[in-house]
Amino acid sequence: MSGTLALAKAEISRLRRNKRYLIFTVALPVMFYLIFGKTHAKGYQVSFAAFYMVGMASFGAFSGAFNNNAMRISQERKDGWIRQLRLTPLPANAYVVAKILASMATTVPSIVIVFLLGRFYGDVQLPVWKWIVCALAIWIGTLIFAALAVAVGYKLNPDSVQPVAMVVYFFFSIFGGLWFPLSGTLQKFGEFTPTYQVVKISTDVIGQGSAALVNVIGVVVWFVIFVGLATLAVRSTAETV
Amino acid sequence: MGQYSTGYGAGQNDYGVGLDDYGRAPGAAASYGARRGGPPVVSFENVSKQYGSLRAVDGLTLDLRQGETVALLGPNGAGKSTSLDMLLALRKPTSGRIEVFGSDPYHAVKSGLMGAMLQSGGLMPEVTVRELVTLVTKFHPKPEPVQTTLKRAGIAAFADQRVDRLSGGQTQRVRFALAICGQSELIVLDEPTTAMDVETRRLFWASMKEEVAGGRTLLFATHYLEEADQAADRILVINRGRLLADGTPAEIKARAGARRLSFRLDRVDEPFLLGLPGLVNLEVRHDLVQIQSSDSDATLYAVLDAGYRPREIEVASLGLEQAFLAITAEDDANATNATSATTHAGETI
Repeated sequence: MSGTLALAKAEISRLRRNKRYLIFTVALPVMFYLIFGKTHAKGYQVSFAAFYMVGMASFGAFSGAFNNNAMRISQERKDGWIRQLRLTPLPANAYVVAKILASMATTVPSIVIVFLLGRFYGDVQLPVWKWIVCALAIWIGTLIFAALAVAVGYKLNPDSVQPVAMVVYFFFSIFGGLWFPLSGTLQKFGEFTPTYQVVKISTDVIGQGSAALVNVIGVVVWFVIFVGLATLAVRSTAETV
Repeated sequence: MGQYSTGYGAGQNDYGVGLDDYGRAPGAAASYGARRGGPPVVSFENVSKQYGSLRAVDGLTLDLRQGETVALLGPNGAGKSTSLDMLLALRKPTSGRIEVFGSDPYHAVKSGLMGAMLQSGGLMPEVTVRELVTLVTKFHPKPEPVQTTLKRAGIAAFADQRVDRLSGGQTQRVRFALAICGQSELIVLDEPTTAMDVETRRLFWASMKEEVAGGRTLLFATHYLEEADQAADRILVINRGRLLADGTPAEIKARAGARRLSFRLDRVDEPFLLGLPGLVNLEVRHDLVQIQSSDSDATLYAVLDAGYRPREIEVASLGLEQAFLAITAEDDANATNATSATTHAGETI
């Protein structure tokens, strides 16, 4: 386990040096929040400032867990780094575990910074437990995308990861209602996305003090699906990595 | 060794490790591994690997003993890399069994008993050489001090450079560092000196010699014959996935008929010539007789003892390269002419 943690630590320090990563996970959500955070409207029965805080925190965290990881895993597989690791005493699953741990660690800043912005710029007032529950819901929700990143990174070559990552990025942002609250037909369709579930859990907690079971189940189902895809992808490349 | 003018200058003892343990009598073609005691470090038992219709490795059986420096020699596509991949648990054999230190290859890698460097191994970008070596060292149950590894691999001078900004030769040495940063009992290297210049290559083998001096076992694949001749105390020649020859460099040369003997005879008696000791190959053109022999002295004495008085006697030695070419060419000829039931001297090995 210590080897896996050492690898995760190295992954985190690599990410910290990466400007692109900081732009996507922190700079973009902060900028959007500064521009749109004070819109006078409602989103899922809570103030827009509160909805948009949840949306932007999820946006930063999910794109950080997905885009960057999928690209890197694919590249590192192509370069033979994964193969190199298999020649060390590090356990076989350590690479994937370290990637997920690192992305969990590096999505924390985007959540914390956007939440601070929500509190002091958007004037969102919540009891302490609601802050904590919302942050945890978003944080755990990003695991879904860390798993998808593993599936995509193992299955596709770097050249094809780029367009797929863009599609995933926009699809789950827009149809998950991260940028604006969903309504009507769009909502009927978007309800099924994991990003929608995560945002809905948080806004329900903020508005009503509890989340709907169906959304929690939704998150779990998506997680199981993506972990399954990731496992298949990793296994299918066992002899070629 | 001295009697072979291989053209590589220095004698075997400048490179070899524990050479004195081995009888190097030319012509001794007994199974090499049997001469060493102890359980095998690595054993391949009738191992095959099939990729679709291609049989990359075909019934490979061999043992490596502790402390040996073994070169795996073969042309491109001979099955060297596939064999090493299976040894390192990267690929599974289609059939057969591989044991490393008495257990399966995966377990041997994960317990740190094997350190390896492959041509296809990549490095983590965006970190410095020192950070990378420090990281991989942490994975080992019995780590070497990082500074020692950096020095041994000859990478201390650029330890603070970023991994993704190194030259090919430097990258190769970093990969080597990752193979030796734990106290492994067996080191496996696939074409270790490919991207190195002559001087770096010399330094590399010097440090490799230190690595194995303490009783470690080294297996390396190469297509540089000179390297196999100088660095290895045992050579495995493989071609088309099969083991063709197994012995010391001297034995390999003898195996192919290490010397060429030629003379002229007024009256050529082919059946007699074919019965000469040490004879591997015979060519007769009019009165000119050309013989490839594993023991040219014995061959020549037998000719003289029979009362012949040959003229224009010439004895020339074959290098390892010619031996290697002879062995693989013979094998390829067999493959294309599989129906012929000719027996070859080589099959006794």
